[in-house]
Amino acid sequence: MNVVVCTKHVPNPQGTPTLGPDHLLVRSGVEGALDPGDEYGLELALQLVERHGGEVTAVSMGPDDALAAVQRALAMGAHRGVLVTDDVLRGADALVTARVLAAAIQRQPAELVIAGVESTDGYTGTVPVTVAALLGHPSVTAVRALELEGDALRVERQTESGYDVYACPTPALITVTAGATEPRYPSLKGIMQAKQKPLDRLTAADLGLAPEDLRSSQTVVEVVDAPPPPGGEIVEGDTAVGRIADLLADAGAI
Amino acid sequence: MTTAWVYAELAGGVLDGSAAELLTTARTLADEVAAIALGPGATATAADLGAAGAATVYASDDEVFASHSGGPQAFVLGGLIEEHRPSIVLFPGSYEGRDVAGRVQARTGSTLMANAIAVPAIDRARTEIFGGMTVVDVQLQGPEPHLVLVRPRSVTAEPTGGTATIVAVPAEIPEADLGARLVERHEEAATGPKLEEARVIVSGGRGLGGPDAFAMLDALASAIGGAAVGASRAAVDAGWVPYSYQIGQTGKTVKPDVYIAAGISGALQHVVGMKGAKRIVAINKDPEAPILKMADLGVVGDVFEVIPALTEEIRRRSGS
Amino acid sequence: MVLFVRRARPRLDVLRTARPDGRTDEPGVRARREVVQVLGQRKLFQKAVPGVMHATIFWGFLILLPTIAEAMLAVIDPAWTLPYLGHAAWFAFLQDAFAALVAIAVGVAFWIRKVQRPDRFRGSHMREADLILLTILGIVTSLLLWNASRIALGYADHPSAAPVANALSGLFSGGRGTEVAERILVWTHLLLVLGFLTYLPRSKHLHILTAAPNVYLAKNAPSGYLTPLRIDLDAADADVRFGAAVATDLTRKQVLDLYSCTECGRCQEVCPAWATGKPLSPKLLIMGLRDQVVAETSAIVAATPSGTVELQPLVPNAVTDEVVWDCVTCGACVRECPVDIEHVDTIVDLRRNLVMAESRFPPEAGAMLRGVETAEDPWGQPASARTDWARGLDDVHVLEPGDPPPEVLFWVGCAGAFDERAQATTRSIARLLIAAGVEVAILGPRERCTGDPARRMGHEYLFQILAEQNVETLNGAGVTKIVASCAHCFNTLANEYPDYGGDYEVVHHTELLSTLIREGRLAPGAGADGTVTYHDACYLGRHNGRFDAPREVLHGAGAATVEMPRNRERSFCCGAGGARMWMEEGGDARINETRFAEAAATGADTVAVACPYCFVMLDDAAKASGSSVRVADVATLLAASVLPEPAT
Repeated sequence: MNVVVCTKHVPNPQGTPTLGPDHLLVRSGVEGALDPGDEYGLELALQLVERHGGEVTAVSMGPDDALAAVQRALAMGAHRGVLVTDDVLRGADALVTARVLAAAIQRQPAELVIAGVESTDGYTGTVPVTVAALLGHPSVTAVRALELEGDALRVERQTESGYDVYACPTPALITVTAGATEPRYPSLKGIMQAKQKPLDRLTAADLGLAPEDLRSSQTVVEVVDAPPPPGGEIVEGDTAVGRIADLLADAGAI
Repeated sequence: MTTAWVYAELAGGVLDGSAAELLTTARTLADEVAAIALGPGATATAADLGAAGAATVYASDDEVFASHSGGPQAFVLGGLIEEHRPSIVLFPGSYEGRDVAGRVQARTGSTLMANAIAVPAIDRARTEIFGGMTVVDVQLQGPEPHLVLVRPRSVTAEPTGGTATIVAVPAEIPEADLGARLVERHEEAATGPKLEEARVIVSGGRGLGGPDAFAMLDALASAIGGAAVGASRAAVDAGWVPYSYQIGQTGKTVKPDVYIAAGISGALQHVVGMKGAKRIVAINKDPEAPILKMADLGVVGDVFEVIPALTEEIRRRSGS
Repeated sequence: MVLFVRRARPRLDVLRTARPDGRTDEPGVRARREVVQVLGQRKLFQKAVPGVMHATIFWGFLILLPTIAEAMLAVIDPAWTLPYLGHAAWFAFLQDAFAALVAIAVGVAFWIRKVQRPDRFRGSHMREADLILLTILGIVTSLLLWNASRIALGYADHPSAAPVANALSGLFSGGRGTEVAERILVWTHLLLVLGFLTYLPRSKHLHILTAAPNVYLAKNAPSGYLTPLRIDLDAADADVRFGAAVATDLTRKQVLDLYSCTECGRCQEVCPAWATGKPLSPKLLIMGLRDQVVAETSAIVAATPSGTVELQPLVPNAVTDEVVWDCVTCGACVRECPVDIEHVDTIVDLRRNLVMAESRFPPEAGAMLRGVETAEDPWGQPASARTDWARGLDDVHVLEPGDPPPEVLFWVGCAGAFDERAQATTRSIARLLIAAGVEVAILGPRERCTGDPARRMGHEYLFQILAEQNVETLNGAGVTKIVASCAHCFNTLANEYPDYGGDYEVVHHTELLSTLIREGRLAPGAGADGTVTYHDACYLGRHNGRFDAPREVLHGAGAATVEMPRNRERSFCCGAGGARMWMEEGGDARINETRFAEAAATGADTVAVACPYCFVMLDDAAKASGSSVRVADVATLLAASVLPEPAT
């Protein structure tokens, strides 16, 4: 079975990202890496293909240095890579991103498309299902395990109190949770072999997308520093318990 | 006339608390407020939805919404949107909310904003980025309806005591839009969410003194709901909890919304596993413990007093 | 003889086809080591009784070599013997004395093996050893008896010069029977010797031929130095080897190591992993590899660069993955080995293949590798936080590009920058230097991990990238002298960076502090309360021979010290080396807790350390045991006694 994995290059997963003067995420010149969340998807895809045969294609949209994410995927074992990179895509919102990815994915016939639950820089968590809808695929999100049974997938979906099992026809799209599996560490051999693997660089025009499809419909109008979180302080005594409960409520946990 | 819609999430026939919160927000945005409730028991929730502020409730009790994820809901909602043209639709920021809103976006071509903490206007949403350090106001453009996913508990629900008109919605879903079918449900009372996925983590270290104290943390996690229990290496090494609990350099790395560290000193080897948490609460007897300095809220106290008291307080607040 | 050559040839062939090491530099150093260790048997004397026993047999062997020629001549004609030597009274005496001494030594050896039964022999081939000892006994006994019979027959020139043989000659009448006996004895002796020779290439006794060259080819560099593996991803092709995957990847020295092992177990005895119930024994590791090389000899010799298919992977066939990862690279085994086997280098080579070619390593260590890869420190902390420790210390100067070169650069290290326990040490060092009037210059955010944990784990490529980057930064800043506060940084900067173009004078912070005390730039202080015991860090002490400076610093601090049983070169590792700081530990006991117990047993109130790894490991052990014994770096102890209390 062929699997397409959505891979995103995110700036500085260890440090603190910043917004530039244009209110867009500063991506250039910042040390970036393949989104750790995508590695889980990649690992599941590689395991599936190792069991059932087929190929894994890594698809990514981003500026030039997003190539690093695709190369990492290839080094881990993906068979081919696709990078959609185009100046016109700078500042793309969720819908534009979904349209681009769907168009790129349509060029690779695949039984399964895998993405992470949410990216570590965007956190929207909706792009994958939008892609699924554009492709006309059924989707299951927050998957922690899956297996191919005949033509369909048996997936385990993480819930608050355990997990649900779904039967999903293929072709399908799933998003995988962190901790679904242990992603493999690319060996040097993998890194070297990655250079020989086919890698397509596409522009928005190559995908047949018209300018009106690519217009973002969100603009950041104001940026303020959030009020300092309640704390960085030390308390003792009777008020402490109340303070903790306040913090939990404030964070939306209770 | 502006219309604001709210997607009311149902779980096992019970209305999720997010619906009332979203309706409160919706009332500030538009003249007309409606809610969509899909799934077994939907019609019965119309009374509560009305009391929370919905003038109209589009409902269907069909089984298909409980046995499928995202597809049928998006299909029906998409159809309703095309028929009635609301200005904005608010969704809860849950897995289901994302699944439905994401699919609807593909059909309507309208903008979708996630993780909103407030919606000041029909074309404006506010969100926190970078782990909560920065607040950003976003202008929503493009064709209506704007789709906004709102974080749970960012607004307090204010009931109106009104009643809603029920509009029954047919649930004729084309085969292609059904999607994946639910086959089994598994409740894992002990496990709950995995550490890597949990929104709140309660973690114990050497200060707990022994394995029995972890029952105390389990109780706290249950009271909070949807919380997972973790541990520092010291507790795992001592054999109090299995290795799967370990957070840190040679264990798991977690990024919860809230991390409560009980009896953990805060050595670097542990901190590297949890420093990505949005808010860190630390309880330790030792005022010099490094974790108190890096926590957002550090409590100098005895974990055996603070944790049970906290559990009590949380139960009291959530009225259970 | 022919048989010997035939049986020895495969051994030689494997050596011939193995990769060369290039260990021919500094012949003077090598020759001196040869004299001291081989002729002088120095390392064997690390154990008193076995040392004397072995030295006797060894010197006896050397002295008795000419007797083989004597026997060969006498076989042809009983009157024939060696010119000069055969007639020299002093040689007859030596022969006689050493033959007897060797016989006694063999008795001692049996006593050690059968009565004392030291644990180091666990896993060794005892039967084979017994056979060898008996053969030696047979050789010298037959020699003595043969000499005795020769005396009885009147062939010896100076019978009284050989007292033992002379005494034994009384057994022989001197008549026809003795002539027959003499023939039998000379043939027995010669056959035993030649038989032994033939047996050699297939036995563990091969060390008598390989030990001397093995010692010659041993590392001249400090034992903490690892040979680089130059990796050029663009030039390499997909079949290139990283480290040791199969037997043909082993170098000549590594093969010679395998041939030289006598299964004495001295390495096993001092291995911290073995001592705490883990499956790693350096002896068993070498034996395992040796057995595989011997079994695959014909395949090895016939192999071509691409035709290594028939060879089994060394891991897990000769040694298991677990064994490879158990090693803390402390070098105790290398230090003990009388024939200079370099176990650690081989283990790292096995790791190099596992990590770089196969990505097969304990998954928890992956977090460290990812941290080093993306954030350039093992804990994934942002580089901007490297100066957090210096808050409040105004005299710490962060070098900017374009600044004039510093007199000495303070290399803080990742632990010293990010770990709160090690930060205390960093601050102490900085405050001491400031008080002594030394400019404290650091690279701050431009400092990167030296790469030590990546290299010890076997990720040579990652290490190479970091080394090249750091050297570029250091050279660009005009650095010529570095003081390092971590023993691992110290070892890497001093011994390993020269391979990457980084030649600096590198000192450890204890050395610098000790110098400052001696020069009077730091005033000796009143003693700390209680006694202090110093734990020698492996990468400072055993690997680099620095034992005195930390002790001088402690005395400078006015501390009363007490030594642990295992100190200086015999120090017992804290357990964090070999990147094990980032791995989970198995076995019956923890290495750090074992060492801490030893420290606490001295009755000391404080355990002094000189490395942040040791600090974390021993401090964790102290906490786990609930002990009131405190762990602190020597710098902190010095600062406490020399400097006024800092304003916090």
